[in-house]
This record gives sequence, C-alpha cells and structure tokens, in this order.
Amino acid sequence: MVHSLAHAPTPAWHRIHAVRHKRAWLIMTGVVVIAAILIALGFFGMVTWGVLGSAIFHTTYRLVLAYFIALALGVTIALLVGWSPLGDYFFPVFDVLQNLPSFALIPLFIYFLGYTNQMIIFFAVSSIVWPILFAVLTAIKSAHNDLNDAATIFGARGWKRIPFYLTPLSYPAILTGSIVGIAIGWESVIGAEIITDIAGFGAFIKGADVTGISQGAIAGMIAILVIVFVVNRLVWAPLLAESAKRYAE
Amino acid sequence: MTHDHDMTLVLSRVTARFADEKKNSIPTLKDISFSLPKGSFVSIIGPSGAGKSTLMRIILGLMQPSSGEIIRNFKRPAMVFQNYALFPWLSALDNVAFGLRMDGAGRHERERVAREKLREVGLAHLENRFPAALSGGQRQRVGLARALAISPDLLIMDEPFSNLDTITSEALKSDLLKIWRSYGMTILMVNHLIPDAIELSDQILVMGAHPGRIEKVLSVDLTRPRDTRAATFFKQVDILTEDIRRTLE
Repeated sequence: MVHSLAHAPTPAWHRIHAVRHKRAWLIMTGVVVIAAILIALGFFGMVTWGVLGSAIFHTTYRLVLAYFIALALGVTIALLVGWSPLGDYFFPVFDVLQNLPSFALIPLFIYFLGYTNQMIIFFAVSSIVWPILFAVLTAIKSAHNDLNDAATIFGARGWKRIPFYLTPLSYPAILTGSIVGIAIGWESVIGAEIITDIAGFGAFIKGADVTGISQGAIAGMIAILVIVFVVNRLVWAPLLAESAKRYAE
Repeated sequence: MTHDHDMTLVLSRVTARFADEKKNSIPTLKDISFSLPKGSFVSIIGPSGAGKSTLMRIILGLMQPSSGEIIRNFKRPAMVFQNYALFPWLSALDNVAFGLRMDGAGRHERERVAREKLREVGLAHLENRFPAALSGGQRQRVGLARALAISPDLLIMDEPFSNLDTITSEALKSDLLKIWRSYGMTILMVNHLIPDAIELSDQILVMGAHPGRIEKVLSVDLTRPRDTRAATFFKQVDILTEDIRRTLE
C-alpha cells in the first residue's frame, strides 16, 4: 500500500509563504515606524486625533455592517440560484445589474433613505454584494461534473444540496469574493461620505482638504492602511492559506 | 431461462442524443441493450467517444435517455470515479460517512461504519487526512470505501485504475475482488485495459463509438480465482483481445 503524501504542501511552499508573510510585516512595520517618527517630529501637530478616530470608527463599522449584510445576501442568492434548475436564466440579469456604476445610483439611495447612516450602509451593500455573488455562482457553475454527480449519488439532493454540498464547495469563492468586496466597500463608504458629508473618514478628509490641514488626511490614510493590513494578515491570509491547502487538486 | 427480476439492470434500445452548437441532434448512444445479472461483475470496454460515461449517468438516473426502456432492480447504487470526486472539505472519514449522513444516520453510527470501511480498504490510519493530503491510490480507496459505506447493490466504477500506478492498481484490484465476493453486489466497470477486464469480469461489453453502441458481449470463461500468470489466462487474453480488436475495426 502506498503511504506517500502526494499533494501536501511541500517545505518549499511553506518557505515561500513564510518569506511573503515576513516581508509584508516588515513593510507595515516600516510604515508604522515612519508614522511614529512623523508624530514625534510634530508633523501631525494640527491633527485632532479624537475627530479622526471617530471618523475612522464610523467608516469601519459601516463597512463591517455592510459586508455582513452583503455576505448574507450574496451567498444566499448565489446558492439559491446555483441550486435552482432555473438558475441559468438569472445570470444575464445579474450581469447587467452588476455593470451599473454604483455611484450613479446614489441619488436613488438618498431619495429612499435620506442622508443617513443606513443610506451609506445599503449603498455599500449594493457594491459589495456583486463580487461575492459572482464568485460563489461561478464556483458552483464551474464545479467538476464528477463532484456534482458524487454529491447527487450519495444523497445530497433537494434542499440538502445547499448546506452539505454547495456551501462548502463555495467556501474558497466566498473568501476571494469577500476580499474583493471589502476593497470595493471601502471605496463606496468613503465615497458616499465625501458626497453626502455624513460623519466618517470620507467627510473627514474632505474637511481636512477644505481647511488646509492635509496632515489629517495623511494620518487618516496611514490609519486605514494599517487597519486594512492587519485585517488582511490576521483574517484573510490565514483563511486563504488554509483554503488553498485543503481545496488543492 | 432468466427473468428480469434475476437482473440488477436491464436496458433495451436505449438511445441518447445531445444538441450540438448548431442545435443539431447528435446521437451519443444508439440502441443500447444489455442486462446485468444479480451479483455479476461486468466490464465495458470501448474507445473514447463511445459514450461510456453518458451510459453510466443514464443508468444512475443522472441523465434521461431520449428513448428506450430501463428496468432498475437496484435500490442503492454507488459510484467510484476515475478522478476520485472526493469532497475536498471533508476528511477521509467524513467523506466515507457522507452517504450515511445524507441518509440521516447519527454521528456515532456513521463514524463506526466509515471506520469499518476505511479499515476494509486499508486506510484506517488515515481517517483524519483530507483528500489533498492523500496519494492517488489512497484517494481511490477512500472513494471505494465511500461507495461501500452505503451498502450498494449496484457499484458502478468509471475507469477506477486509470490514474493509478501499476503496483497500486494491482493491490486495489485484488481488494476489489475480495470486496465483491464478500458483498455479493453487482459491479459494472468501465475499463480501458483488456487484461484487467478479463481478470475481473464475468462478461465484457464491447462498445463502438460515434454513436456509442454495444458491438459485442463476450463471456470470460475462466474459473475464479484467476491466476493472471497462468498460461490459460494469457491465452484467454490473446483470444479476447483479438476478438475485441476485430470487432472495433
């Protein structure tokens, strides 16, 4: 009997990942050190840290909320459409909808929800949902025929197909769709805040620009950079690595 | 005289068509008629494009034929795939237990059966491994254990040895024969190696291509257990190989 580990990650694979991981942390440490030096030199003396902190908090929590709503919505719709025999009819509809420029629709969101927190959140949902939905739908539609047949033959039929087959099958796609969706989400939330002047990082940098305190905008950008990096390294990178290892052919 | 109820499967004049890019109806299978006696081991041999996989899918009810009649006197079919078709998100144990889980078996019961089947195929020590960390031979054994776990009365195998090295496939063939004898189920196997088909089968269905059709049904008149190094075996291989070659010319 053969006991070899045919497809397990090799030592070279581990080395490459370790080097990438170390390099990313080095770059981020450099950014933080430079920021600390600039703070020590008084470059950010004009920045009102409390206001900046509150602005970043508002933007981040809107994004997180929008992400979870979009995740639930995108995955649910994609699973139902992927599961349904009529699913192919929905593809062209989604294709047209996702091509609509989201910022062109912002007046519609303002009309229905006003200049509110909810407006920004649902506007962000409308942008985040598409990469998640399409990633999951594509994963379901491009699944190997044999795997689909195995699921059917061994009993994952009817509603059971969704939790026991389609959902775990879509896991890597949920991750990649989420990463792209969140990147788009940052843009949507900050853009909507700039347009509507609702308190948040967008409104903060717009205000900083108007009042000429560009250090505020720079400090804010560094802070967002650090948040994005930390989330990427501590949440997405380990999940992606685990998914790549497990779902390897 | 044999009756339909002595048969696990009876196909009469089964035809399958598919529409090409120009919407022309192309026959993939034409007038397929054969029957599988209960407890028999039957192999299908044929060139690429003979529609062997389509035939398997029709037998399992995964595809509907365009015309013809199928009598299915089996309740629990299972399949072993050429490309294993294991669920990458499940461990070897959970892959084997998948069918039982879909049947509603409790965790304790399904894990007990799955462990027993993994032991039968010699992989008890690898129950926690995920498919990505198994060799081709090990994956195929997990695939076989997954099929056995649901106690099938018809086991369909689609070129189960084609991705395996000679030593692994020899070991798996010997295990398969032991399992077939102890379970008493009917096995229908697609194979591309004539000596393998002769070593394992009671009957060989020779299929021609474009469209797929049964050209000949050959009986293997060797007593079991078959000694693959005996002169009689080589002689039988020679005779049947020549017969199949002439049939497919």
